[in-house]
Amino acid sequence: MAGRENTTAVATAAPCASGRWQGNSLSDMRRRMVDRVATGLCWLATVLVLLMLFSILFVLVRNGLGGLRWVTFVHVTLPPGQGGGLANAIVGSLIQTGLAVLIGAPVGLLVGIYLAEFTATDGRFINLVRFVSDLLLSAPSILVGLFIYMIVVVPTGHFSGMAGALALSMLVVPVVVRTTEDMLRLVPLSMREAAIALGAPRWRVILFVCLRAARDGVATGILLALARVSGETAPLLFTSLGNMNWSVSPAAPMASLPVTIYQYAGAAYEDWTALAWTGALLITAGILMINITVRLGLGRNRK
Amino acid sequence: MTVAEKQPVPAAISVRNLDFYYGANHALKNISIDFPQGQVTGMIGPSGCGKSTLLRVLNRMYDLYPGQRATGEVIFDGCNILGPKVNLNVLRARVGMVFQKPTPFPMSIYDNIAFGVRLHERLDRAAMDARVEDVLKRVALWPEVRDRLHDSAAALSGGQQQRLCIARTIATRPEVVLLDEPTSALDPVSTARIEELLDELKADFTIAIVTHNLQQAARCADQVAFFYMGEVVEVDSADRMFTAPRENRTQDYITGRFG
Repeated sequence: MAGRENTTAVATAAPCASGRWQGNSLSDMRRRMVDRVATGLCWLATVLVLLMLFSILFVLVRNGLGGLRWVTFVHVTLPPGQGGGLANAIVGSLIQTGLAVLIGAPVGLLVGIYLAEFTATDGRFINLVRFVSDLLLSAPSILVGLFIYMIVVVPTGHFSGMAGALALSMLVVPVVVRTTEDMLRLVPLSMREAAIALGAPRWRVILFVCLRAARDGVATGILLALARVSGETAPLLFTSLGNMNWSVSPAAPMASLPVTIYQYAGAAYEDWTALAWTGALLITAGILMINITVRLGLGRNRK
Repeated sequence: MTVAEKQPVPAAISVRNLDFYYGANHALKNISIDFPQGQVTGMIGPSGCGKSTLLRVLNRMYDLYPGQRATGEVIFDGCNILGPKVNLNVLRARVGMVFQKPTPFPMSIYDNIAFGVRLHERLDRAAMDARVEDVLKRVALWPEVRDRLHDSAAALSGGQQQRLCIARTIATRPEVVLLDEPTSALDPVSTARIEELLDELKADFTIAIVTHNLQQAARCADQVAFFYMGEVVEVDSADRMFTAPRENRTQDYITGRFG
């Protein structure tokens, strides 16, 4: 509605501002009023969103930048008042998100290929798989944490980094499924037919032609999944638990940035809250970097 | 042409009593036609009359889509290719196809050609290089791409892409090449180059080409088949078809009275 009003107003006002092109009737005036109000509301909303985003960034930088010292990266977390850094949490986050993508991305990729390419099989089953995957996409992440707690932590008898990675990988899968399927569906039918007409078997067509054509989009999906899980806290609370000490074993409880922030931010010790801010700044910067990589990658390929 | 009439050329593919169905839609009705070896057969007729459908039967492309089925016989190299025991990948290597829109794969020019060859033959590096060079020369693309064989094929112009697709098809050394309106997306200069190319290729391949361009059929084809409403109305030499067609419907179509 607002858009249509807008173009009309511009068309009458801009090139021929006088004479009989200038509508002065009541309905013309009303139209211009509505246009101005709608445009104003759009501006207001945009400014509001930008203000929120930048105030978050501002607070993060103001409170977190102070803790961005060498010791933060090389020292593990210590009891309050003894200094210490975030080394175990940073490395723990890298290991867990890395493992999560290593486990989740191939599964998501294969399911995405199944949904996009095996359309000759029963359509109802395909729709069911897609529905379940979309459901998982919007499932509360704490439920995923509880699920892994039940099937991994309880049987093994202890929290572990692997359990955390598994919980995160369950969030990676549906994101990768969706982007892989969408990207493969963009590959024109004629390209598939051309490959088949050369006598290529199905798997070669999918692997070397379709997936190759969709490569950038699929990679983007995996990076976005990585960005999504790197900030997740809830799935890790009951799975990897957190660890005050240096530990890189996936079999033992493992620290991570989001959980450390969760524990430190509410603490009564000033040095802990300062470290929580620094951790939050690190995660935000990491996600920002992934998003910029995605943007640059897409921009390069449009040329 | 006159030689061909005196000494009948053996058929590379013989279609006998072919019926084709898209689900309940009866698209080809009891069709019989021969594709003489080493000749160009042009297929003309209004849209939706079954020309492309017939092409897609000849390499069993229709197999990809459930609900499409063919009955009758298509004899190629002494074997009914509609039968159940046909190895489709081998059939498609022997009966190649070029599509209306150029469809380069998302890889380099070199790999576009090597992709098809690698499916059916194991060549060492030197032999593959030679094959790529050979087919690119045959489609007159070599001078334009020799210095950028490893660049993306997507950067080529439409006409160059279509010649690349033809090179890719003949690189697997098929016996028959099917072309489905190969020039309808190209400009006149590119079209002329591809028509010249067809003339050279028929020395080695049997060619079937679907076209909406009657001049193109007259220029390129030895034999022309007129399709109408799922039937083959008339098959004759290009000369006779465009000067003295036997059927009124053919006459009407080529003089532009319908279609």
